[in-house]
Amino acid sequence: MAARTFDRETLLDLVVNAVPLFIMAFFVAAFVLFAPFGFDPLASLLQFGLIVAPFVALLVLTYFSARAITDAERGGPVFLPGQTTPTEARPVEHEAEAEEAGAAASSEPTESGDGDA
Amino acid sequence: MAITGQIALTVLMGLFLVGVAAWLARVENWRSYTPVGGGATGGETAYGSDEKPAGLIRWLTTVDHKDIGLLYGAFGITAFVVGGLMVMVMRLELFDPEMTLISNTYYNSLLTSHGITMLFLFGTPIIAAFANYFVPLLIGADDMAFPRINAIAFWLLPPGALLIWAGFLPIPGVIPAQTGWTMYTPLSAGVGSGNQANAGVDLMLLGLHLTGVSATMGAINFIATIFTERGENVSWANLDIFSWTILTQSGLILFAFPLLGSAIVMLLLDRNFGTAFFINGGSPILWQHLFWFFGHPEVYILVLPPMGLVSLILPRFSGRRLFGFKFVVYSTLAIGVLSFGVWAHHMFATGIDPRLRSSFMAVSLAIAIPSAVKTFNWITTMWNGRLRLTTPMLFCIGFVQNFIIGGVTGVFLASIPVDLVLHDTYYVVGHFHYIVMGAITFAGMAGLYYWFPVFAGRMYQRRLGKIHFWLWLVGSNITFLAMILLGYGGMPRRYATYLPQFATLHQVATLGALVMFVGGLVWVYNFVVSWLEGPRVEDADPWNLKQSGLRTNEWAWFERKRETALADGGDEEALADGGDPVDEE
Repeated sequence: MAARTFDRETLLDLVVNAVPLFIMAFFVAAFVLFAPFGFDPLASLLQFGLIVAPFVALLVLTYFSARAITDAERGGPVFLPGQTTPTEARPVEHEAEAEEAGAAASSEPTESGDGDA
Repeated sequence: MAITGQIALTVLMGLFLVGVAAWLARVENWRSYTPVGGGATGGETAYGSDEKPAGLIRWLTTVDHKDIGLLYGAFGITAFVVGGLMVMVMRLELFDPEMTLISNTYYNSLLTSHGITMLFLFGTPIIAAFANYFVPLLIGADDMAFPRINAIAFWLLPPGALLIWAGFLPIPGVIPAQTGWTMYTPLSAGVGSGNQANAGVDLMLLGLHLTGVSATMGAINFIATIFTERGENVSWANLDIFSWTILTQSGLILFAFPLLGSAIVMLLLDRNFGTAFFINGGSPILWQHLFWFFGHPEVYILVLPPMGLVSLILPRFSGRRLFGFKFVVYSTLAIGVLSFGVWAHHMFATGIDPRLRSSFMAVSLAIAIPSAVKTFNWITTMWNGRLRLTTPMLFCIGFVQNFIIGGVTGVFLASIPVDLVLHDTYYVVGHFHYIVMGAITFAGMAGLYYWFPVFAGRMYQRRLGKIHFWLWLVGSNITFLAMILLGYGGMPRRYATYLPQFATLHQVATLGALVMFVGGLVWVYNFVVSWLEGPRVEDADPWNLKQSGLRTNEWAWFERKRETALADGGDEEALADGGDPVDEE
């Protein structure tokens, strides 16, 4: 189902948040298996709740943000981030086509233009 | 049983609030939200620059986001100078182990005010300065969603600053707060034989409350602006990275600062009206929980936008796009969420239940990952790039270097056994100064130099900019590395005097601070002189970003502004506040 919601590229991008999720899941499992301070209804509930709550919140936020970004990508032209209004700005798809045609040499900087260097 | 009932009630209330949020999200299409008569509503705002009065009245009455950005910037830089001078006096006092230059109590006052000034009066406002000026330009909005609220948010800051600094003013009977920036109870509650029952502490708390209200109003405005005022082609898929970080930061402010405000009110009630939240049988540890539930997100409130600045500026001088843009976006959001789950790692030494400590350690280790990911993204962006070592780029690289040291030293503190050894030592001071000064302030400087041509219309002196950078990079590393070594040696923080065995490293730290002070003088001189007499910017693309296809929206706005200004006879005031020429049709 996830594969249909998100394409391969998006899933790859989401790996960045899978790592902290894995770390939190690891500690939940570790604290279940290994409890040197024993079990207490309130303290243990809080102990697991303090990891599970951010785990769920991160999962939900990651899903909805990925959905928002993916829907926006499918719903209209995508420019480079922050580069929608310059006169030379073109949607990314156009740029990809231009690159395929071998006409994207202009994206490389030249020797000049060293700013204040 | 009573506790179980309270937990059940809390969970129910949480579910209710989530339900309300979900319902609101369903019934409202926020993107098309157009309040009647409520300022900018996706069309042309009513507050054009051509309506502005001249002189001082303009600055007192302005609702233009760029003017308010400049006001925030002037305020933030003033506070930075005040906080910097405070710490220079402290560092000079620490040159000698004994009490020499100032009294121990005055040292405590400076320590408290330095922290609060730098975090609340410099850090948050200087970020708001960049955000106010550039977020509307970057997202193609005419102005902020609520221009008047924007102005109110700023104008709460000066009275807030006066209240925070009131103890230093010649007011009979009022002394400065000496509570430390964390305001731990019972000391800050004014009990015991000390002098912290003084009204100076109350005034400081009220000032802090005002700055919190200001930050919250600003955050609501930024969220509304980024959600509802984006330009036609600006979608979530191509929102710039700085706006992403401001959006996340605003979300954090929205949840964190009201809690600080509540805790401050509770503390004021304890101090003045005999309530028992933290004293009189209340729990001093409750203050720490409330404070750090705000305080740790505050760290990310301060660091996320500078990360956005670096993510925006660093690729412009690397000749290539930001490597893994979406990695940076998702990791920003991850930091935002997880920052609320780590607060008690500041409290490992308080004796809280070891099971709870272990949970906070787990989430603290998890939150290190998104930060590390960004670091690798910046490095890989530079890797094999065509680097141009301009002053803003140097500050970006300095940010990355200092952030790595500050971040790695922080990971060790997330480990409970290490923290129990290093807690309350100079190691912690060195760690967070690497972040707040070495990283956050460096990124702020990168932004100030990068956009100097936009807001000044002139260019700074390049050689002085580089001298400033090198003095700060060398100075900050001398000072903060010495602090880390002092911490390893067991030097406790917050003391005006110390054992002679720590003298050498303290003197090294003071030497580094003096190097930074000289760098600061160079910076102030450069900015003041360049603002008044620097060469006028002749090209709307002073960094040659067009060549590498990396020109962003604010520079395109700058170009249109210059063209319009020329067409209009050179009057800079002829522009609409959003940057587009006023359309008369």
